[in-house]
Amino acid sequence: MPSDERSEKQAAAQQAVDILHEISTILNCHLDRRTLSICISMIENGVNPEALATAVKELRNEAQEVQFEAAGAGASTTRRR
Amino acid sequence: MSQDRGHRISNAIDSLITHLIPINPHDDEQTVQERHDVCFELVRSIFEQPNSPLVTDDVNHASDLIKRKLIQSNPSQALRFSNLYTRLLSLPVLNQKWAILYLLYQLSDSLDLNEPLPLSPPILQQPILRGASRYAEKERSSKNSTPATIPEEDEEDAVSDAFASTGLKKLPLEKPVAPEKLPERQSERLFERQPERPRRSQDEEPLPAPRPKRVRDEEPPPAPVFEPAPSQAAETAQGKDSRDASTKSPPLTNHPAEVEPTEMALLRDLPFTLQGLSSTTMPFAAETKLKLPPTLPPPIISLLHTLAEPSLLYRGLGTFVSSPAKGLLGQSLRAAINNELRSYLTLVATLEGQIRRALSSLDESAPRGGIGKAGVTLKRCVVWTREATMGLRLMSLIAEESNNKRGGQLISLIHGFSSSHGDPVVAAFAERLLADVTRPFYDILRRWIYDGELSDPHLEFFVKEQSPKNDEDQKETKAKGQASVWNSKYEVVDAMVPSIITADFAQKVFLIGKSLNFIRHSCGDSQWVEAYSKTSSKELKYGDTATLETWIDEAYKTTMQRLMGLMNTRFHLFDHLQALKSYILLGQGDFIALLMESLAANLDRPAGAQYRHTLTAQLEHAIRGSNAQYDSDEVLRRLDARMLQLSHGDIGWDCFTLEYKIDAPVDVVVTEWGNRQYLKVFNFLWRIKRVEFALASTWRKCMTGSRGVLQTTEGHVLQTWKSTRGVLAEMIHFVGQLQYYILFEVIESSWTELQKNIRKEDCTLDDLIQAHTRYLTSITHKGLLGARRRQYYAGDGQQGGRGDNAAGVGDGGEDRNSYMVQLSELLRTMLAYRDSVDGLYSWSVSDFTRRQEVDVLRGGRGAGGRKAAHQSSASGDYEMGGVGDNDPLGLGLPGGVVKSEFPALQERLKQLGVSFRARLQILLGDLAYQPDVDMRFLGVSMNFNDVYQPVRRKTAKSSSGAAAAAAAGEKAANTSRA
Repeated sequence: MPSDERSEKQAAAQQAVDILHEISTILNCHLDRRTLSICISMIENGVNPEALATAVKELRNEAQEVQFEAAGAGASTTRRR
Repeated sequence: MSQDRGHRISNAIDSLITHLIPINPHDDEQTVQERHDVCFELVRSIFEQPNSPLVTDDVNHASDLIKRKLIQSNPSQALRFSNLYTRLLSLPVLNQKWAILYLLYQLSDSLDLNEPLPLSPPILQQPILRGASRYAEKERSSKNSTPATIPEEDEEDAVSDAFASTGLKKLPLEKPVAPEKLPERQSERLFERQPERPRRSQDEEPLPAPRPKRVRDEEPPPAPVFEPAPSQAAETAQGKDSRDASTKSPPLTNHPAEVEPTEMALLRDLPFTLQGLSSTTMPFAAETKLKLPPTLPPPIISLLHTLAEPSLLYRGLGTFVSSPAKGLLGQSLRAAINNELRSYLTLVATLEGQIRRALSSLDESAPRGGIGKAGVTLKRCVVWTREATMGLRLMSLIAEESNNKRGGQLISLIHGFSSSHGDPVVAAFAERLLADVTRPFYDILRRWIYDGELSDPHLEFFVKEQSPKNDEDQKETKAKGQASVWNSKYEVVDAMVPSIITADFAQKVFLIGKSLNFIRHSCGDSQWVEAYSKTSSKELKYGDTATLETWIDEAYKTTMQRLMGLMNTRFHLFDHLQALKSYILLGQGDFIALLMESLAANLDRPAGAQYRHTLTAQLEHAIRGSNAQYDSDEVLRRLDARMLQLSHGDIGWDCFTLEYKIDAPVDVVVTEWGNRQYLKVFNFLWRIKRVEFALASTWRKCMTGSRGVLQTTEGHVLQTWKSTRGVLAEMIHFVGQLQYYILFEVIESSWTELQKNIRKEDCTLDDLIQAHTRYLTSITHKGLLGARRRQYYAGDGQQGGRGDNAAGVGDGGEDRNSYMVQLSELLRTMLAYRDSVDGLYSWSVSDFTRRQEVDVLRGGRGAGGRKAAHQSSASGDYEMGGVGDNDPLGLGLPGGVVKSEFPALQERLKQLGVSFRARLQILLGDLAYQPDVDMRFLGVSMNFNDVYQPVRRKTAKSSSGAAAAAAAGEKAANTSRA
């Protein structure tokens, strides 16, 4: 049932997400709506925002690395040296 | 439940990872799955870390952080954010709004992953960007936990540390210790402590201190402040080992906390210091001296300096508040400051609470005592007390300056801050202070404008009771007619008018209170004042100037109306003015004529023979016999006739005077001075009237006589009579013109002016007094009584030469009443002339009787007794020739006297006539050059047919010796010519 509940909550919080998304745009958070709503639901579930922020950043770094790897092995090797 | 939640969270993590980590098309499924797992573990580990207590977990804190950041970077967005934020707050769905905001705040300005990748290796760029963002500091807290997975983080950490220590001097850089790192950390702390010891003694030089330690740490030279990135980049190129080493190198920021006394100790003592109490670390050496521990490094010292300011100011203000105040406003100022101090103490209390909580939750094991994590540091305290310090500073400034100021000046002082200080914070603060401070002032004001009472025990109001001046001053004001209850009871002290009130306004306020006071005390109408104050009394407060003004205007109008109404109805002021004009200024013709007629005989006797009862009886008679009887009793009973103090040789005419008694409230308008002016005018008019009366009666006598007793056949007697009648007619004409001029041109026109002024709608008592004074002045001035001729003299003197000049100065005193002198001379001449005419008349009468007798004798010669015939025959022949020279009859003796008197009379009449004419011509000459049109016109109407040649004094010397000789009595002319 959690997914149901979440979607329901999301529907109800549609407006809230809108607002928060706007705020995040102002703040240059580079969060899309999907990520934002995931974060919101996590926080509503009691995750420490600070930790979450760290996690998001970590994941972004990871993503960047993946992109690098994808972009070219050459760049990646120099970096890894 | 918790399982459910955990499940949900892992779900969320899953989706987050899938969403954030892009799929590398080159990797196979295995790698992707692996990566996913790694990431999942990583996130999990982050989440499972012991949560550091957040600084403040309320929604406002997070939004404040965001707002502040936005204001710095993009002010226009800040407003938008506030709007969004309020909308968000109104939504009911989210429970953890603050947390979300905080998350957003943490993520703000993060790197955009969707942007095309830069060409340069991103690893070089990343630290720079990250390091540059000062708001990203928190995220560092957890970085150490995953050193293996993401090694770059360490490097970045070091960079930002380098930034923080040298660039921004961040004190609280907490490092939550990951379990595996703990031992290393502690050892780090251990050897960190070592180098501190030598430093304590030499806290003068804190900057070199980090260097030895750096050296000890065998690692890179101190990073220059502005170029950490390149050096970091170089390190990165060197490889991982060096990076690890640099990670271990203790951050610079850790140092300040290790000094003695520690920041914690300082924090613990801070609340006491802020309250102005001595503590162990920071004792107050003297009243205005705070002793800081000498072992601290300058950064902390300077922080403490900043914190010492409010403490010292508070101490100073504390003593100021408890010092005895000089007046009500001083007391209210102290109270207001005390209030502000109380809110300052509230702030200190909050601060102390924060500090306590922070200190109790301190993690002793954390570096620098974990003070940064606790969220309360000296720096924060500085920030928190900043605004309060501003307020304290302003207050102590005011307190200092208020020492030699009182009352209105005090208000002006504070008002100066609120109205003309550019800093809006200062202005607002002063405004707030003003509202409290002005309260007693407005109380006094209220009492004043609604009760008319001055309840100002400390002389702080701008109205004050006039202190009894020295006698001389009082005499002077009395002489000017200014001394009365109305004018001399209260006065405005200009220096005490506070700047919240304009001068106009102050004048109005002054007038209101004065009027009320006057109504209450002088007019005896305190019931009205009490009722008025009950109905219209309002609470006056600082702030709403417009309302205050309308209230005061209202009060002004009511009071003035009441006062004028009282003056008019209860005290009959206008009736009195009317009566003064008709009796004292001889407006009531029939009354004056009757009075003069009935008194004439009496007044011809010497002054000593005048009795008051006869005078009053005649006055009563005159009143009953004229239209004055219809005047109100109120007026008539004030009318009195009396004698002035008499001097030797005066006759009744000189001393007689009418008097109109004015009593209490009305005497503010008709002052003592005014009374004297009235009396002066009356005396002058009375004299003119008397001369006119005398001339008229003589004229009448002559006219009736000319039909009988004055008939004579002698040519030269007839001639004398003719010229005498001519001069008499001239005099009557002169007196008539003079009277007409004074009564109509001067008094009536001034009266009209006065009426116009005092019947005005918004006439105040002040206006009335002023109008009346002007009325009197114009009468005395124009009625020839006060007009000066000095100007003329001055011109004359200049032309005449030096000698004349001296003379002109010499007779300046005489000149003062020059017209008065001239006119009295003229009047005296006329009286003398009249006496001579009377003498001539008696001579003619006696001459007539003698002739009659002669006729009778002549007629009786035939039929008369012998004796008579004998007598007549004895003198019969030379009757016409030498009459009475050797008259054998008793009649011969008087006849002889009369005979010898005629030429003397003739001579005297002629001389007086010439002298009158000469004087008149001089007067006309003076009048012709008067600046006043009315007075010039008097001259014209006296000389309408150019029968006189007006003499200008300038030419008097050369023109006619006769005129000069005739004007022998004219002292002024004589002396200036001499």
